[in-house]
Amino acid sequence: MNTASVVRPFPYLLLPTWWASRNRARRREKGDLTRGLLFGGIGLAVIAALFAGAFWVTWQAAGYDELGDYLIRIGLSWLFLTFLSFLAFSAVVASLSTFFLSDDLRLLLVAPVAPRRLFLARFARTLGQAGWMVVVFLVPVLAGIGFAKCAPWSFTGTVIITVIPFVIIPVALGSAVTLLLVNVFPARRARDILMFMGLVFATSLVLLLRFLQPERLLRVESMPEVTAFFATLQSPLTPLLPSFWAGEALFAGVQGGSDWFHMAALWTTAAAMVVLVGAAFERWHFAGFSKSQEARKARFARFHGLAAVARVLPLSPVRRHLLVKDVKVFLRDVSQWSQLLLLVALMLVYLYNFRVLDLDRLPYMSGVVKNLYAFLNLAMAAFVMATVAVRFVFPAVSAEGAAFWIIRTAPISLRDFLWSKFWSGLVPVLVLSEVLIVAGNELLGVDPFLKRMSAVAIAFMAFALVGLATGLGARYPRFAADNPSQVAGSYGGVAFMIVAVLFILVMVGLLGWPSSVYLFNQVRRRPLTDVQQVMFYACFATAAALSLATWLLGMRTGVRALEAMDRTPA
Amino acid sequence: MIAVENLVKRFGAFTAVDGVSITVAPGQIHGFLGPNGAGKTTSIRMIAGLLRPDAGRILVNGHDLAREPESAKAALGFIPDRPFIYDKLTAGEFLQFHGGLYGMDGGDTAARITEMLEIFELGRWQHELVESFSHGMKQRLVMSAAFLHRPTAVLVDEPMVGLDPRGARLIKDIFRLMAARGVAILMSTHTLEVAQEMCDLISIILKGKIIAHGTVADVRAMAGTPDEELTPVFLKLTGGGALQEIDEIV
Repeated sequence: MNTASVVRPFPYLLLPTWWASRNRARRREKGDLTRGLLFGGIGLAVIAALFAGAFWVTWQAAGYDELGDYLIRIGLSWLFLTFLSFLAFSAVVASLSTFFLSDDLRLLLVAPVAPRRLFLARFARTLGQAGWMVVVFLVPVLAGIGFAKCAPWSFTGTVIITVIPFVIIPVALGSAVTLLLVNVFPARRARDILMFMGLVFATSLVLLLRFLQPERLLRVESMPEVTAFFATLQSPLTPLLPSFWAGEALFAGVQGGSDWFHMAALWTTAAAMVVLVGAAFERWHFAGFSKSQEARKARFARFHGLAAVARVLPLSPVRRHLLVKDVKVFLRDVSQWSQLLLLVALMLVYLYNFRVLDLDRLPYMSGVVKNLYAFLNLAMAAFVMATVAVRFVFPAVSAEGAAFWIIRTAPISLRDFLWSKFWSGLVPVLVLSEVLIVAGNELLGVDPFLKRMSAVAIAFMAFALVGLATGLGARYPRFAADNPSQVAGSYGGVAFMIVAVLFILVMVGLLGWPSSVYLFNQVRRRPLTDVQQVMFYACFATAAALSLATWLLGMRTGVRALEAMDRTPA
Repeated sequence: MIAVENLVKRFGAFTAVDGVSITVAPGQIHGFLGPNGAGKTTSIRMIAGLLRPDAGRILVNGHDLAREPESAKAALGFIPDRPFIYDKLTAGEFLQFHGGLYGMDGGDTAARITEMLEIFELGRWQHELVESFSHGMKQRLVMSAAFLHRPTAVLVDEPMVGLDPRGARLIKDIFRLMAARGVAILMSTHTLEVAQEMCDLISIILKGKIIAHGTVADVRAMAGTPDEELTPVFLKLTGGGALQEIDEIV
């Protein structure tokens, strides 16, 4: 084979991705349409909300003449600064996979593909993976700003030629950081470090944004605070960052002008970054890839504490071993446990919101509103629980993957196996939901009856939702999935979420009506009538029965599905 | 032709491959034998360009893999033990892409793809997604990809894993045919019968070092068991004495 004939432009290496997407679209799987409609609808709603939000904020700011323009200008710079850091982190994680861990690299690296073309193809893939979400978020926001400021159509072109180099720069930087890290650590260890860093970054961002109390800015009397708020975000370094250049270029564009200086800064920096990172790739990629082939050492290999704790639990040896195995696998997978960090951050923000809730501004209504919030808290905690269940409990059976044959061929019943999955999922979910409910209601200062009722109700709901997630996870397993998120987004995962949402709404209705009657009578200092008492107990009994039925039927469905399974992945 | 000179690979303090040298002439099938963890796959992966050697030189068709990687790789076909194939591509699409990587772009590519799929008995699966293939079918598809661009040297890691007797027979015939056409084949295998039946030369690797090299007859003589089958010879050379203790344990 003549080497000269092997020269192909780099987009050729992206063909499998394109063909695979085309084949996937042609051969639809069960539930694809439902999933597409659901996620597409959610996506459109988010895009519409972003557009409306950006439009409204710009419209409001525009009412303050020069101060408004100043705010839009700084706001744009700040918006791009946020995306800049997000893109860089996202690129570090994405490039680790595209440049070093992706399975198809084993095919491409043995082929006579020039390193430069391989770099460009993988960089394009990284760009797509790391940047698509930012572009999807940025476009409606910039469109909202453009519409609110009555920008000329040329603004569309300015957006395109600004966003492209803006995305390229942090992605190139992220890829360079990955290249450096992988040459220092083995790639798989680097992935752990990066996943952890990324989650810490996301968690701190969530906490920071919340504790800055941006709601203060919405008060008219706090206008001086707004300028002070934005001023704190400025630093002498800001004009040297691509986010500032992008903000300036777009601000000029939105006013019908053009800022060629900052545009040129964006494009020349992007081009220089690609050339430099490409050269670094040619020099160090193979060494890093070679290192990434090395096996990593197991964490918790001598973690005897876990086995000791498990021995104390009242479990059969089979369930005990399944539990220990599940916990070890969970702890060794950073992509799994690190997501708990984000969850804890969201919980803190959630509870903090209750703390800063200024209900005393409504003196006559505060009691009623507090109790109303208690129900909102119950529904919200249940939704959080459903989300946690679909992400962590639903994939439990699928997580066995190609190793499921071990369970199928071992002398244990599939009922035992599934119930073990249920209990190991229930404990953390129950603790989490009880913390949310008890702490939330305590911070709100709701009626003691509601506190007790919510605590009991959420426990029933935890059994039901975890049972349903475990059962449906067994009914619709995806043993071939690469990660639990893929399982959660599958047909079964979506079906679980739909059923879970319906269950939560019915439960809140069943609990809300008798509770409101009770509280209403308590305020009026009247006892419940006989009919009310019957209805009161009937509603609670129905709610309890519905929870028990959802729990047990969910589990029974799962056990039967496992027993009827005709193919075992191996 | 494949020529490997003093190949070394270390993983931390552990030396997986320690001074391995092998030469496979055109038309020759060279068996690379050794127990699990001896360094076979590590050596093969270095020759394929998937691992960087710490020392040594690899020449494929006269091209140094370190200095002219594209020329060396263009002359090489690789059949890994755990092949990667894009699940969502059809067999035909996979071969088309693979051929493209090796510069096949002419009008004869489609005909060549059909020819290879027919040879490996996958013709009627050309338009089916790879995800629906059995392990043996995937293995045959990877082999058809490896021979698609008419390489002058082929590296094979455990070729018979997952193949039924008919598939195994087919592969043996194809390897012999390719060797007869001048292709140099370096084949790592655990199946000693295959090595005995097919290989012109064999090298036995143990703990990263070549401990025996030559024809099957040479290796038998080296072990001092000239009339035996290859299995007892292999066990004797690689310390299979431990197997005798199994009786007591079981």
